[in-house]
Amino acid sequence: MTTTDGGFAGKVLRVDLSTGKISTQDTREKYGAVLGGTGLGYQVLWEEVPAGTNAFDPGNKIVFATGVLAGTGVPCNGRTAVTCLFPTCWPKHLVGSGHMGGNFAAKLKYAGYDALIVEGKADRPVWIFIRDNRVELRDASRLWGSGIRRANLEISQEMGADCSVAAIGQAGEKLAPMAIVSNSLSHSAGGVGGVMGSKNLKAIGVQGSGAVRIAGDKGQWEQLIKFHLSILGGNNQHVVPSFPTPQSEYYNPGSRWVGEPGKRWGAADPPVEITGNIFDLNRIAYRTNTAAFFLGDGAWKHTVRGNGCTACPIRCHTVLSVPAVEAKYGIKKSAQNTCAGLFFGRTFFKSMPGGFKGPESLEACMVGMHLADDLGVWCNYGQLQRDFLKLQREGLLKAKLGAKEYNSIAWDKFEAADPAFLFDILPRIGERRGELGHVLSQGTAGLFSQWGISEEYWSRDHNAVYWKMGHPKHHANEDDGQCGVIINTQYNRDSQCHSHSNFVRNGLPLAVQKKLAAETWGSPDAVDAVGDYTPMNVHKARRARWSLVRKELHDCLGLCNWMGPWVASPLKERGYRGDDSLESRFYSLATGQKVDREGLDLMGERIFTLHRALTMRDMGEPDMRARHDTVPPWVFEDLSGAAPFTKGTIRMDRADIALAMDLFYEVMGWDKATGAPTKEAYARLGLSDVGKTLAESNLVPGSKA
Amino acid sequence: MTPEETTVLAEAAVEAVREASRQGRLVTSQDVLAALEADGTFLAPVGLESKEQPPLAEDLCALLAGILAESQEIASFESLSGGRTLYHAPALLSRTYARILDRKGFPLQLMVEEIRSNSRDYPRPVPVELFEAPPFDLTPEEIEHALKALAASPDHQDITFTTAPTGALYLFSTLHLERGYATFLAQRAESLVMNP
Repeated sequence: MTTTDGGFAGKVLRVDLSTGKISTQDTREKYGAVLGGTGLGYQVLWEEVPAGTNAFDPGNKIVFATGVLAGTGVPCNGRTAVTCLFPTCWPKHLVGSGHMGGNFAAKLKYAGYDALIVEGKADRPVWIFIRDNRVELRDASRLWGSGIRRANLEISQEMGADCSVAAIGQAGEKLAPMAIVSNSLSHSAGGVGGVMGSKNLKAIGVQGSGAVRIAGDKGQWEQLIKFHLSILGGNNQHVVPSFPTPQSEYYNPGSRWVGEPGKRWGAADPPVEITGNIFDLNRIAYRTNTAAFFLGDGAWKHTVRGNGCTACPIRCHTVLSVPAVEAKYGIKKSAQNTCAGLFFGRTFFKSMPGGFKGPESLEACMVGMHLADDLGVWCNYGQLQRDFLKLQREGLLKAKLGAKEYNSIAWDKFEAADPAFLFDILPRIGERRGELGHVLSQGTAGLFSQWGISEEYWSRDHNAVYWKMGHPKHHANEDDGQCGVIINTQYNRDSQCHSHSNFVRNGLPLAVQKKLAAETWGSPDAVDAVGDYTPMNVHKARRARWSLVRKELHDCLGLCNWMGPWVASPLKERGYRGDDSLESRFYSLATGQKVDREGLDLMGERIFTLHRALTMRDMGEPDMRARHDTVPPWVFEDLSGAAPFTKGTIRMDRADIALAMDLFYEVMGWDKATGAPTKEAYARLGLSDVGKTLAESNLVPGSKA
Repeated sequence: MTPEETTVLAEAAVEAVREASRQGRLVTSQDVLAALEADGTFLAPVGLESKEQPPLAEDLCALLAGILAESQEIASFESLSGGRTLYHAPALLSRTYARILDRKGFPLQLMVEEIRSNSRDYPRPVPVELFEAPPFDLTPEEIEHALKALAASPDHQDITFTTAPTGALYLFSTLHLERGYATFLAQRAESLVMNP
């Protein structure tokens, strides 16, 4: 048996679905340099999946990887990165990761594994049974064709109540690029469900009887966890409440910290009223009610409780009970989710009669969760709905679909904003029915490849907020000016980075944010007031680099980048400072391998750069600046004609963004002309072999013979 | 008083303010005096029991005011209603919250102060619904009345509003926010529920 100092479970499990071979590898020996999570996934793809592979080829591999801190007592640790060639990436499938919370990561670690690599393709539907050392491929024929809930229930009944099941629905089975895998009912990773389906893999059930060993001093470990809890705010690390409190000088009506004494979880039995001091550590779970934030105050009376990931006190998946939907739509009265998954349903409509926080909107959201979370349909961060609305608004659906199919759609219900419309549209997409279902289930890429709509046209729309390569923006210039733009250029799917947006949205006054920015990134000019952007400077480039590196670190450690990093806190006595070294301190104590903040950031940079290298290799593209790191036209326009750098616009300036990319490449040690990492950059990060391989294909600056 | 007695008295006075702050109350020096008299801790340290002529309450309040002014833990400000210095412990009852409490009986001033400070410090306009929620707890009628009074008041011409596309009304001060920027920020605030 492999031994480990701590943190790591010790083994990586590998399942070849083509041959049925099941094997293990030593995690630290093979993957220690990339920590786990996305890093481990990138390494597998780099070493084992050749350029030119299609996402649905048996040669694609799908890597479910946790990290050192998953399954420990560290707050916000429940993340599993699911990495593979990503099927919504257009025009070519490139590396990407979905990220799911829930309990899967912890269970996998307790079973003894840091990661599961799935390769090949089964000749019939199967699911993977994992109970400690016992790993089996089991027949999933009876589950094929069923939704995620039934698969979860049946496998849970077979394995026992303490398992975690990650399953796909019909969308994944039918190889929809817009498909999720989901565990614990609502914790999903987008875009990867179809890859599982292509391998005839319905689900993974995992159960573990072990534990994660902590190498360091237990007292220090407990103390650090308590400290971490003390600097937590609400969801997305919003560190001030949405209402004034005696304990804080600041508040922010836009904060996701909406829980306060007097509010009630009205659908709990009996109802729970929030009492006491909401700043107490034992009250953290009452601070967040995602449903109340996104769906309005009316959601409080429908709230049963907050649900969430292992060891996370935030509980951002709100469990709702809305009895009216049982009678009206014949669906279960309860559902749970967070953010875009929570309001999946309402965003298929142009507007709702009572607004997006009214009772009709709530019902649409309940129907949306009922359908999407079972069919396993992904929204691509809302791009599915934005694409649908744009297609309809511009008459493109009528033009592209045959009259018979077009007229079969329940447009009367759509126009009336009747949630029952979702019973028509979502199964079409999830089951890939008809032309509409076939195209929309491919994501925005389907519009380009199937209907000949130009990407350039799509990327001009200020409402669609499409970015590039099949994906939308994700906290870009609307939140964080040039820093947001840089981050959105770097990935092959929406960036999924919250390091920067959690900071600018934390609710502290600008002066306090600037003080923290000066301490963390070297200058108060590293951050601007939203919509009052100043010209680019190197401190913003450093913050963009830090944001990306921390995002990768979190994805590799099993931490939640929807909550971290923690550079701000609710603590008045700390001047609202958080702690930028938290991740390295936890890593050091967990593994027994002492690493400081800079050292761990270097590992994060290595992993991020490996993603870059993998993308370049698979694109065969030396000029990333021109061909990959692109910015859509809508970023450079303002519909009211406002000039860049005037107050009240998110419009960016082309020359300034060019400078932003220059400075970003410079702080990364990349070639400014092409945005490609240099030989020296690869060497500095311990990736000389990667650089050498790319140089052989002329993908390293100066490597051309 | 001996230095030791002064120290004991100072600690008792500060603790009286702390206790009030824990309970979410602002106090005057008279309140502090009453609290100390009630539990007997005031008289003991200064040996007042033995004196034939008890000192005047004003003198005692002045003494306490001097003591509290020296404390690093205690903050004070002049009450909006005038003529009273109010004390609180900011570690337990923030400056922002203290001023809201002081203005609770004065809807117009309560709203003006919040609107101006939000526009100045964050900067942002505030949704009008904010004032219906705790700790403001104004009724829609009180808010409407205050807004009408603000519109007619020469001293408050900087207070104005912008309407987001959702129909939500946001209030701001032109002393600190330009209209166009306030409108942008209001739209952005409303868009957050669609931009997770």
